[in-house]
Amino acid sequence: MTPPSITDLAIRYGFLVLMAGLIIVFSMLRPAFLSPQSAVFILQSVAITGILALGVTATLVVDGFDLSIGAVATSALMLSAYVMVIWEMGAVAAVVLCLLMGAGVGLINGLLIVKMRVPDLLATLGMMFLLVGLQRIPTQGNSISTGMVLPDGSAAEGTFAPGFLMLGRHRIDFVIEDLVPLSVVFLIVIAVLTWVFLELTRHGRVMYAIGSNAQAAALAGINVGRYRIAAYMISGVMASIGGILLAARLGRGDVASGNNLLLDSVAAALIGFAVLGAARPNAFGTAIGALFVGILLQGLTMLNAPYYTQDFIKGAVLVVALVFTFALSGRVGRARA
Amino acid sequence: MPRHAITIRGLTKAFGRNAVLRGVDLDLPAGQVTVLMGANGAGKSTLVKALCGVHRADGGEILLDGAAFAPPGPAAALRAGVVTVHQSINDGVVPDLDVASNLLLDELADGRTLFLNARRMRDEACRIAAAVGLDIDVTRKVAGLPLADRQLVAIARAMARRPKLLILDEPTSSLSLAEAQRLFALIDRLRADGVAILYISHRMSDIRRLADRIVAMRDGQVSGLFEGGSLDYAGAIRAMLGHAITEVDITIPPPGPVVLEVAGLQLKPDARPFDLRLHAGEVVAVTGLVGSGKSALAGVLFGLDRPVAGRIVLDGRPHAPADPGRAVAAGVFLAAKDRLANAVIPGFDIQRNLTLPFTPRHAGPLGLMRRASERAQALRSIRDMGVVCQGLRDGILTLSGGNQQKVVVGRWLAEASRLLILDEPFQGVDIQARQDIGRRIRDSAAGRATLVMCAELDEALEVADRILVMSEHTIVGDHRNEAIDLTRLMAQVAGSMDGMREPA
Amino acid sequence: MISRRTFAALATGVALVPGLALAQGAPAPFDNPGQVDIALVRYLSTGDFFQAYLSGVEKQAAALGVNLQVFDSRQDAALQADMVDQAIALGVDGIIIQHGLTESMQEAAQRAVDAGIKVVAFDVNVENPAIPQVEQSDAALAQLALDQAIADHGTEWVAGFVHVAGIAPLDRRAAVWEAVKTANPGIEEVAMFGTLDNPIANSVANQARSVLSANPNIQVMFAPYDEFAKGVKIAVDEAGMTGQVSIYSADVSTADIQLMREPGSAWKATAATNPAVVGEVSVRTLALLLAGEDPGAQVIVPPTLITQAMLNDADIKNMEELGAKLPAFAHADVAMAPWMTLPPR
Repeated sequence: MTPPSITDLAIRYGFLVLMAGLIIVFSMLRPAFLSPQSAVFILQSVAITGILALGVTATLVVDGFDLSIGAVATSALMLSAYVMVIWEMGAVAAVVLCLLMGAGVGLINGLLIVKMRVPDLLATLGMMFLLVGLQRIPTQGNSISTGMVLPDGSAAEGTFAPGFLMLGRHRIDFVIEDLVPLSVVFLIVIAVLTWVFLELTRHGRVMYAIGSNAQAAALAGINVGRYRIAAYMISGVMASIGGILLAARLGRGDVASGNNLLLDSVAAALIGFAVLGAARPNAFGTAIGALFVGILLQGLTMLNAPYYTQDFIKGAVLVVALVFTFALSGRVGRARA
Repeated sequence: MPRHAITIRGLTKAFGRNAVLRGVDLDLPAGQVTVLMGANGAGKSTLVKALCGVHRADGGEILLDGAAFAPPGPAAALRAGVVTVHQSINDGVVPDLDVASNLLLDELADGRTLFLNARRMRDEACRIAAAVGLDIDVTRKVAGLPLADRQLVAIARAMARRPKLLILDEPTSSLSLAEAQRLFALIDRLRADGVAILYISHRMSDIRRLADRIVAMRDGQVSGLFEGGSLDYAGAIRAMLGHAITEVDITIPPPGPVVLEVAGLQLKPDARPFDLRLHAGEVVAVTGLVGSGKSALAGVLFGLDRPVAGRIVLDGRPHAPADPGRAVAAGVFLAAKDRLANAVIPGFDIQRNLTLPFTPRHAGPLGLMRRASERAQALRSIRDMGVVCQGLRDGILTLSGGNQQKVVVGRWLAEASRLLILDEPFQGVDIQARQDIGRRIRDSAAGRATLVMCAELDEALEVADRILVMSEHTIVGDHRNEAIDLTRLMAQVAGSMDGMREPA
Repeated sequence: MISRRTFAALATGVALVPGLALAQGAPAPFDNPGQVDIALVRYLSTGDFFQAYLSGVEKQAAALGVNLQVFDSRQDAALQADMVDQAIALGVDGIIIQHGLTESMQEAAQRAVDAGIKVVAFDVNVENPAIPQVEQSDAALAQLALDQAIADHGTEWVAGFVHVAGIAPLDRRAAVWEAVKTANPGIEEVAMFGTLDNPIANSVANQARSVLSANPNIQVMFAPYDEFAKGVKIAVDEAGMTGQVSIYSADVSTADIQLMREPGSAWKATAATNPAVVGEVSVRTLALLLAGEDPGAQVIVPPTLITQAMLNDADIKNMEELGAKLPAFAHADVAMAPWMTLPPR
């Protein structure tokens, strides 16, 4: 065995080193950056996009793509508000309906792609537009909040259930009182579950096989179509969880396209390719990618950098990550994996 | 002595250490159809690519009409008068343009004319089309034409250049009989015009209809040239497949009980139905030319295709798998041919490639993989197959072709099967790996039926107890691998057996 | 489902009756309002403000008895210009241009004027003397909110400012903030941030959290757009700084009212023009033009200050109650003529 070369080390650990460097620089410029509250907050700010990104990762693993996640998330946001404010139902009903909606959208995406042979980008793009429009129809484009006037002239009496709001707002005592918001717990749990599913179970294994060579996987007796559909359902459910957390944080049904959620989560998943030189979609990398973007934005905001510079830097990080993945690790990435 | 349009002397070409052309000597006379035959990897396509300017030869020379010919690229070859119609028809036409634009495409691509004169284009196109007997509306889109017409468009476009040499690479592979007849008529006219034609095909019916001469290639050299009044087709086949077949030490075990019974199986609507019985412990090779139906038979047994008619019984139960998953569940495994496309998972290491079809075997509760079990299985497979590698976790693509093939064969030997089908298991592997794989197939054969598809006869002779010959999607010969009458077998491969159904 | 359109059509039917009764007194073409077609060409439409604006336009159009057609370009500047041309082709009598970019709308607006169509612009400067500008006074909005901040906190405090440059109304509000800072050197701005990433409140909340942890001494957040204020409020609550930070904003909606009225809410006051009223004024301005009267080059809809205390004292729960209990908010007495029918309250 030859010792690993500098390039190998750079590919494997370059991104983690870069992240550590960022943390040091920001802490020196703004000491508040290093507080536990700040760390938890970074996690909270990436919780929603992180969960969405893990869903995108599932579709990337089977060599697919889901453009509809942002719209699924905002649809879940509107749906949960509609269920609680207008139908005056409870938190459990809202959560269950949102998850069902996410799974249903994923199923339709999967069927369009697998059975109707619509290319994945086009099918999910269509679904995105459909959902962006659909979520506005029941309220005629209005945001949903308690007290809003319904078409029949009465005011909506329902409120966001306290249990539902807890999902986005409750904090758990962890060393310091009221430190860790529930959404961060969700992010961590979902990231670990996704990692275990993709890396340690046979289903994850099979999904990677499909993504690498679908034809060979099919000839190994694997039901490729069923796994593809499952991947889109995972993506849909994850997106709806993201939407639920968004609703719980905002406390109202905001009309939004969710395009920024989509772009940020796709960026996180793609940055994840570069983490540890994986050169492939992976749950750990996606979580790190989301965190990386979160750290960067937190630090830049603390330094009063205007929003457009943040977009610029997000884009630059993505480009660097993609260069890491495709140019540098192309040689070794193929060989190991 | 006919005038030679092309004279090739001592042509060599190597890709890395792999010498593909090893001194090819070949003359292509004007006004004659020379049929080129050769098994996969014999060097046919490299020769064609050297002629049409895609590859540059390493050594030797090509003379075109007596002058040295070394085209730097396809465009130069075309200008010099060497025209190639490729196997995939859509390489030769632009489907979204109309016929006229396609016919004048080379002129358009030259870019000398900035503006298009629609009427002049139409007239010119009609003239070109008429020259090859193509009678269609030149304003139609090529995408809307039947395949044969598309091919004629591709040829007509080529003919507009007044070529000296026309190369046709398996041109009838996607044509119906009637469509092929139109193509043959055109070839006859071109021959009469004095064009040298190099025709690559394995279809005996095509060859019989067209060939003035047959050239067989094997291992990068011309291994036989047949011309004259009555062409020796069987001799050509033998030259192509090689006759230096070594005595193989095969001990044929007594056949076990019947595992698979096939009755009246029809693979294509116009193919003759056939019966087939496979016994436990028996290794049966199926040989035949490319496109003779070997892979179609494998596909039906593995649930990839449905037969037109017929009944398949596996261990006394009807066998009609809807998909490969169900075939595997029924105990029918297939190691597919063309491993890079159909078998290797490039993103996986050796271990994961080995355990891919049988992950449930190594999965515990919640589908979690049991590492120790998986690793033990992978080590067993590596030892059994003799895979040469540094470690289980190395990427599959770090292995040589032979070792990759051992992995994708070994993956299916990990579990007991009722019927194991191996489609071209020796494709693109070195001689050592070929012997290892063959030995392992035979050693593990007890208790199941084994079907090995191979186009190369010597491979079949090395591995099989029994050799079936397929031609035109049906079984035309069945030989016990003991003192085989090779001449008869060759004739069956060539499809020239007496009493064989002739294509109309 | 009863769509907005159907609803508007029904309302038109109802309103037509008194409209006809009055028609004798109305100038042409409002003596026969059923023959008058007007178009609303929108650039921005997503969000409560724009919904309420649209409902105001619809109600006033219905009260006048004219036919309204709505074109929605959804933030596509080129499409919005095309839609103006489409309206011209349809032969409408009047066009209201709602938001948009000066560069893309200027020529389209001129084409409409050339076609003899009366045009009113809301919150977009099309640089055309024939086109009156309806504006909610952003300067007045910002001034009202900041006056309240100074009334509550005096003239010495540490501030954060939420702003995205390049958006005309926000720039006008920012200009007032700069002026107030200059006039009161005791006001120290330690952070400026902002984003329009969708959903805006969520993105701003993320930013505000960072700002608050970097600058825990902030006392006042000036967030002169209610989506910004919502985001800041989420961040203040999450940071546990509810008692320390006061938020002053502009614009209002039912959801905003709920947030302001939460116990101990950091959101102290907002200055707002009722978007529905702005919509009504836009239509009335167009009606004046159509009737040959001069509404003036600028029609400014005056804002109202809404404080937490006002909402709590009058127990106001939504926009409707706000209109009913704060009469200044329900109607603006601009672009009026005696012959006009107002929407029913």
